[in-house]
Amino acid sequence: MKLELHKIHVSQLRFGPSTGLEGSCLTVNAEELRALLLEDSHLADVELDIAHPGDSVRIMPVKDAIEPRCKLEGPGEVFPGFIGPVETVGEGKTLVLEGMCVLTTGRLVAAQEGIVDMSGPGADYTPFSRTCNLAVVLHPREDVKLHEAEHACRIAGLKAAHYLAAHCKNHPADTVESYEAPSLREGLGAHGSLPKVAYIYMLQSQGLLHDTWVYGVDAKRILPTLISPTEIMDGAIISGNCVSACDKNNTYVHLNNPIIRALYDRHGKDLNFVGVVITNENVTLADKQRSSSYAVKLASMLGVDAVVISEEGFGNPDADLVLNCVKAEKAGIRTVLVTDEFAGANGASQSLADSCVEGDACVTGGNANATILLPPMQKVIGDIGQADVIAGGFFGSLKPDGSLEVELQAIMAATNELGFNRLGAYTI
Amino acid sequence: MPVVHMASIVPISQSVGANRIIPTVAIPHPLGDPTLDAAEEKALRRKLVEKALTALSTNVSEQTVF
Repeated sequence: MKLELHKIHVSQLRFGPSTGLEGSCLTVNAEELRALLLEDSHLADVELDIAHPGDSVRIMPVKDAIEPRCKLEGPGEVFPGFIGPVETVGEGKTLVLEGMCVLTTGRLVAAQEGIVDMSGPGADYTPFSRTCNLAVVLHPREDVKLHEAEHACRIAGLKAAHYLAAHCKNHPADTVESYEAPSLREGLGAHGSLPKVAYIYMLQSQGLLHDTWVYGVDAKRILPTLISPTEIMDGAIISGNCVSACDKNNTYVHLNNPIIRALYDRHGKDLNFVGVVITNENVTLADKQRSSSYAVKLASMLGVDAVVISEEGFGNPDADLVLNCVKAEKAGIRTVLVTDEFAGANGASQSLADSCVEGDACVTGGNANATILLPPMQKVIGDIGQADVIAGGFFGSLKPDGSLEVELQAIMAATNELGFNRLGAYTI
Repeated sequence: MPVVHMASIVPISQSVGANRIIPTVAIPHPLGDPTLDAAEEKALRRKLVEKALTALSTNVSEQTVF
């Protein structure tokens, strides 16, 4: 498999009569896009808005972030199972509108959605303050059930992202990146002396709207399996998560997984990146035991020397992380864990709900319980009334002047466990 | 005072230092099971509670999963 990412840099968004690019400015025909999204009868209304880096704008509650992509060549279409057919993706050419993002927002389905501040102190804590954002404010019909509303909002974000990219197909790319995903026979036989490394990619699958989808399949229903990293770049994994914003893997970070990027960067230099194993984080102990055993078995079958394991979310997924770690180490596979911490406001409490002595190489995305005061913004896109009920917010979070006192937990991707953000921590 | 920890993820119960541990059904419904009918679910719940009461009255010298 070989995938080329044809990247076009977008530095400005505006509304206008025809959707398309002029230089690095993307014009969006708002009425055309609204009409496309309103084809879904679950939605009563859709509003579109634009926010640029540095604007005095707060977007909340944000459900998902999606980078616009579409296929230029190759089988299938991006976001298989949702936008594209359930055809294997990850080959050919894919157009990427980088520097911009679709953020789905509005009063959605659950308390656990995030904040994106485009300026001020909060902007430092979210990577989406540095993208030009098209905010898609969704209003599901009142009579639509919760899970149907989540589904409608999830699809709307993917549709909008695909629509934007598909209207830029004739624009030349600024950069082209090429990613090879060779057969196992070829990959395992290459780079003889270098340590073989796989990536165990844990996907949130607790249910109750804490879900991830793989080719349209609910990840709680999968056994761990192999996936090509290039399939992930084409949107084979998408987020359906209404869960704490700081460390859920939204669709944008799945598409741009920094662990995969880093493994590619070092491939053939100091390691041989041989594959990705996706696994889940289900809600029964039997599921956790089965999935951890199966994921580690796949790594053993690959014969790898080491695995990088990333967690999604916190709390009981810490048990999945620890099970994956212990079983891999016992199988003779060295591990590096990537997680974040819920160590109390002062950082002095136990960081994870579970631990193990084998987990001696751990990367953290920071402490999500740390609090921050977000000053008022001139404009709020979405619904600021949600501040008191989002995870990381609390009664009284919203001050009379419009400022917010929240835990970092409430900020989109603040402590991302793929290393997507800039936050970290050190041991004292 | 003896304490019984009823929770679905045993390794976490062990990690937090519980001495008497009763494994339960699942995180969203530790003492229930929405796939069962009402009578079956009541029987399941009673069984778990009785197990917990037994654990509560049992002497233990180390972390014990009942």
